[in-house]
Amino acid sequence: MNKVVRSVLLFALLALMVSTGLPSTPAQSADMQYSVWLIESSRFMGVPAGAFMPDRAFVPGSSNKMNNKPFFDLPVNIGVIKGGRDIVLYDTGWKQQDYHKMTGTQHWAPIAQQLAQLGIKPEDVTKLVIGHGHWDHAGQLMDFPNAVLYVQKAELEGIEWALNYPNPHIRAVNTDPGGCARTPACGYPPLTLQEIYGKVLSGKAVIVDGDMEIAPGLIIHPAFRAHTAGSQLLEVHTAIGPLVFGSDSYSSWEGIRDWMIANPQQTDTVQQFLAYEKCYKITGGYEHCVAAHEPLSYSEGYPLTRNSWVGPNGSRAAEIVLAPGERSRKP
Amino acid sequence: MAQDDIAASGIVGTSRRDLGGRPWHRWRRTIALGVVLVGLVGIVLAALAREALLPRSALTVAVPPNPFAPPRPALTQAEEAYARGLWKIHDDVKLSAVRMTFAGLAYKTGEIDRTTLKARVDAARDVYARAEIRARELEPPQSLRRVHADYLAAIRLYRQSAVEMAKLAADGREQHLLAAYPLSETASKKLLEVGDALWPGEYVPN
Repeated sequence: MNKVVRSVLLFALLALMVSTGLPSTPAQSADMQYSVWLIESSRFMGVPAGAFMPDRAFVPGSSNKMNNKPFFDLPVNIGVIKGGRDIVLYDTGWKQQDYHKMTGTQHWAPIAQQLAQLGIKPEDVTKLVIGHGHWDHAGQLMDFPNAVLYVQKAELEGIEWALNYPNPHIRAVNTDPGGCARTPACGYPPLTLQEIYGKVLSGKAVIVDGDMEIAPGLIIHPAFRAHTAGSQLLEVHTAIGPLVFGSDSYSSWEGIRDWMIANPQQTDTVQQFLAYEKCYKITGGYEHCVAAHEPLSYSEGYPLTRNSWVGPNGSRAAEIVLAPGERSRKP
Repeated sequence: MAQDDIAASGIVGTSRRDLGGRPWHRWRRTIALGVVLVGLVGIVLAALAREALLPRSALTVAVPPNPFAPPRPALTQAEEAYARGLWKIHDDVKLSAVRMTFAGLAYKTGEIDRTTLKARVDAARDVYARAEIRARELEPPQSLRRVHADYLAAIRLYRQSAVEMAKLAADGREQHLLAAYPLSETASKKLLEVGDALWPGEYVPN
């Protein structure tokens, strides 16, 4: 009898050891290291400084460096993340339209060309994480036929809420004069939403509700209302420590560093600051926060992105970190 | 003068009282108030004079125009009238297009059943029908005939897409959603192309 009890206890102990010894998700996350690049989908030229960062609005004649620039040139950055079996894009940029050329946008090149400089084909991309659904961040989704889209449920709910709001100013998709700006349904052209729907329709979408680890060491964190209703961040584990991509919740890296809001669209500024804090907490500072529109991108002024080069049509690219064994793509 | 003499002459008393017998500190307050008022009026007058004398450009152009936007030929009066007329229609078409997309999304994510899907899609189809009638009433100038035709084609594609989506209510086959998708996708592309021609500021960097 004692022998039987001893055997059962031994088996239970072994089972416990095996179960606790199995590589859990956090352990896998800690082990996994990704290679990360940043590519410039395009660059908005001559955006009024105050429209981008209210605290840095241009004051004619001011010698204060915070207020003496009338315009910013804003890159539209896409994160390219490679590791394990995955090639993940964080945001997908947008497709050039004639009217974008008319507004002076520069550096745009087809996404396939921009990825080719990293040795990646659109069909190799396995996952698309959009920081939010605006046209300049969620365009071109259907150019990645094999990729699964990750979008926050709250983002879709937020748009739908706005579309059905009784007040026409709040549900507006066209606003006079001069088109959409900061109303909650603006920034989502029919084609962009159509492409999100296309991914859902083809069974290649995950509607995320809050946090989600989409692969070992790749963790989505919600940043509700930090730019739009369902904005989301992406934590990426790398050899230099975790990075956090923030899309337009992190429009300006200087804004994160200096605690200034940027690109307030459907933004709750408190939530944007909390999203900044999230990066400080995860990475231990502001250096590893990856911004979507930082004017200093691809320069010494934004050290994380300084290892850069010029790609198709003058667009910039940066090699942020390589996983062990990964070769450099910098020409 | 001895202190007593001063007291007797009444000088001390007179120096602290006004001619009407009001205390001096009340006069001082009145004078101070007057000075402040005159000062304020002066500031207002100076500001008005400055506004009047400054050149208009200095008042209205705080930020210079975007130096990177290439000059765009102005629309003619007829083109502008057409663009304005279509913009109002465009407002309804775009709203219905995204609502229809969301109806499909809501169905696919299990939030609504096929009856509700049909109701929402039918509502969009009605908007497209009215929009087409209104758009046909516009008279595009010769230079915008192609744009006009593209817009009408987009509305028709949205209508066809709506008809296709609504069929799901009858037989429950999601194949109808797949068949509808390319129609509304093409329509959405056409809307952007029309925007290229008529409304270059339709979307701003965000």
